[in-house]
Amino acid sequence: MSAPATSPLDHPEVRQASAWRYIAGFITSMVLMQAALMVTLHQHLPYQEYVFTTGGLALVALLCQAALFFGLDISRAQIWKSVSLVLTIPLFILSVGLTVWMFQSLAQRTMIMPVTTVQPTLLE
Amino acid sequence: MQVAIQGPWSPLFGRLTLASIPYHTPILIATFAGVAVIGLVIVGAVLYYNKLGYLWREWITTVDHKKIGVMYIILGLVMLVRGFADGLMIRTQQAMAIGPNSPGILGAQHGFLPPFHFDQIYSAHGTVMILFAATPILTGLTNVIVPLQIGARDMAFPYMNALSLWLTTAGAILVMLSLFVGDFSAAGWVGLIPLTELPYSPGVGVDYWMWAIQISSIGTTLNAINMIVTIIKMRAPGMSWFRLPVFTWTTLSTNIIGLTAFPVLGVALGLLGADRYLGAHFYTAGLGGNLMLYTNLFWIWGHPEVYFLVLPAFGIFSEIIPTFSEKPLFGYTTMVAATFAIAGISWAVWLHHFFTMAAGPDVNGFFSIATMLVGIPTGVKVFNWMFTLYRGRLTFATPMLWSLAGLFLLLAGGITGMMLAIPAINYSVHDSVFVIAHFHCMVLLIGAAMFAAVSYWFPKVFGIQLDERNGLMFFWTFIAATGIVFIAMFALGFEGETRRLAYIYDPAWRPMLWTEEAGMMLYIVSIGYFARMLYVSLRDRIPVPADPWGTSRTLEFLTHSPVPFYNFAVTPQVNARDELAWRRDHGLEKTQPDAFEVIHMPCNSAIPFIIGMLAMAFGFGLIWRIWWMFGAALLGIVIAVIIRSFDKNLGYEIQPEEVAAMERNLATAGIIAEQPARKPLTEAEAH
Repeated sequence: MSAPATSPLDHPEVRQASAWRYIAGFITSMVLMQAALMVTLHQHLPYQEYVFTTGGLALVALLCQAALFFGLDISRAQIWKSVSLVLTIPLFILSVGLTVWMFQSLAQRTMIMPVTTVQPTLLE
Repeated sequence: MQVAIQGPWSPLFGRLTLASIPYHTPILIATFAGVAVIGLVIVGAVLYYNKLGYLWREWITTVDHKKIGVMYIILGLVMLVRGFADGLMIRTQQAMAIGPNSPGILGAQHGFLPPFHFDQIYSAHGTVMILFAATPILTGLTNVIVPLQIGARDMAFPYMNALSLWLTTAGAILVMLSLFVGDFSAAGWVGLIPLTELPYSPGVGVDYWMWAIQISSIGTTLNAINMIVTIIKMRAPGMSWFRLPVFTWTTLSTNIIGLTAFPVLGVALGLLGADRYLGAHFYTAGLGGNLMLYTNLFWIWGHPEVYFLVLPAFGIFSEIIPTFSEKPLFGYTTMVAATFAIAGISWAVWLHHFFTMAAGPDVNGFFSIATMLVGIPTGVKVFNWMFTLYRGRLTFATPMLWSLAGLFLLLAGGITGMMLAIPAINYSVHDSVFVIAHFHCMVLLIGAAMFAAVSYWFPKVFGIQLDERNGLMFFWTFIAATGIVFIAMFALGFEGETRRLAYIYDPAWRPMLWTEEAGMMLYIVSIGYFARMLYVSLRDRIPVPADPWGTSRTLEFLTHSPVPFYNFAVTPQVNARDELAWRRDHGLEKTQPDAFEVIHMPCNSAIPFIIGMLAMAFGFGLIWRIWWMFGAALLGIVIAVIIRSFDKNLGYEIQPEEVAAMERNLATAGIIAEQPARKPLTEAEAH
């Protein structure tokens, strides 16, 4: 924070990661996304487990990217960004949660077809 | 995989052929001629008065928040006229095409617009008015005013501020270009699904709509980041959180909404793009797609967008009403709390835009109650304004009249909004013009706030009076026109007229439709008064003091009029919530600093303008599937960003003696004054 203003990269809140962190973040993201793709393509898991597995992999990828690319932590330099990210969580739960609820309600009322032909919703 | 498209395609011009130019449509030929003449006059005047260099140095490449704000407002006003022209054509078509015996001209069976052209016009009207008129004007106002209200030299990221402007401009240019090259979306401003999918809209109209919004909304998101950081980090000493002017509070909340909501729009349109360009099935009825996914995503952005627009309007009223009541704002703390309550609830109401979709009563009930909850903090605000007016020493200057008219529109729009929040009523009037009249009351309340703000802060920014007589005539004709058009529209809604009709099948609606048309004519008169107000003001150039109204309360009225490009010669020390009122009460409002210090300012840059124009070429290439243009523009943007990231420009400094000279002769520092070239700082000088 007290670094001179002339070189932005001297500021810890600007220079968010180092070369090894970028590489580690890239590799981790690739592995996790590849894993999610394989799970989706092979279709071995039941629907419920499939949703939780891919959702879990996405969450881990998000956390890895936040930590390795953006260097988010609770240090003085990064606390604003970390808090901002945490504050989006209620918003995320609100918008995704209400959407899931709405589609569940919609499916029950409009997708009146044999159960085997209908993809279950997240709440089923 | 790239989707195959109908019609001709060539590597050089993509889908673009001569047949795409609508030279067979008389309305567009006349419009093109008008635009060409106006364009030639402007370019001719710039060249004749030798102002090209001035325009480039002082405006196009500027990073000054005031100039950027003014350009945002000019862009918004130009688009407002375009959007009004669309509205006028919609109303005129409906006034003409009534009943099976109504005549048709210019190729239309009834009226003067064939249905496909009519569909494009109402789609453009909504898109232009919300995203390219109201949004830029409000963004411009916050750009101009917020840094002044918090005592900052500029925005936190001046370069990014210019980039935001030029990305918004790129989107607006694409919308205007669709008039003369190709066509615009005929699927409504909301992008009615599946009408926007390639099989149902195989032309380029939806692509124009989609990319114009996508590009401009990146600008809006960047601006939201900039504004939030500016308010958090750039406040003058003593400007604590609870001394912030309410307009700044509303700007903060509105930009939090912008930052969180606009990316959802980007995703919604991105997935639509994947469907249209890559053959994905996000929004198709089969193959794993879901039509309602689009509608849901669109309104997850769309409803917060309403509050994105209305909260700054509430902030404007909260500044103007105390000034012209000569009292502090009643209930400051509750006003701030109400602002954030509205912003918070705005994220849980979006489904009321599609109550009739078939969700269950529990889901509709939840969103109905959430929508009605918005009425509570809004009511708090209205009562606070009323208690501010109560026993105040009222002056009915133009900004005050606009604000009071805005309160009446809020009442009409708010009460009808509460009606629409009840699913049972919503089922009855859904897609009727009752809904159109309701949300026009809300957007016209935002319009009233915009005109209030322009008339309130124009003298401050430009240092000259706005002509009050023409301003009053503009106000009264505009408000009368609003009443005539929208009271008739409410009635038509109750009579069952549905929205987006190119042909009116029930002649019983004729009297109200003609009443609406009469109101539109009055709007034209009001625009004439607006233009005359500007002309007379610029002709007479009556100078104003630092506080043109004599009763202003906030920090921006402490500096000179016109505001110098460095805002404050010395960064002010803030002592109270209404700093200027506090200084006036203590006899300190005219005190001048004993000595000046060096002022550090950012240098201008051409890169934001270049990136904006490349973004427009990027969008044009994608719309017409001219792949080389799309690739070259994208590459150009990447190169420009890399060049900028290696640019070690450290800004420049204004020495104390120069500041003192400009403070003595303000004409040399105002918004229209041309500044001499100043050398950027070197690394050694910066240390």
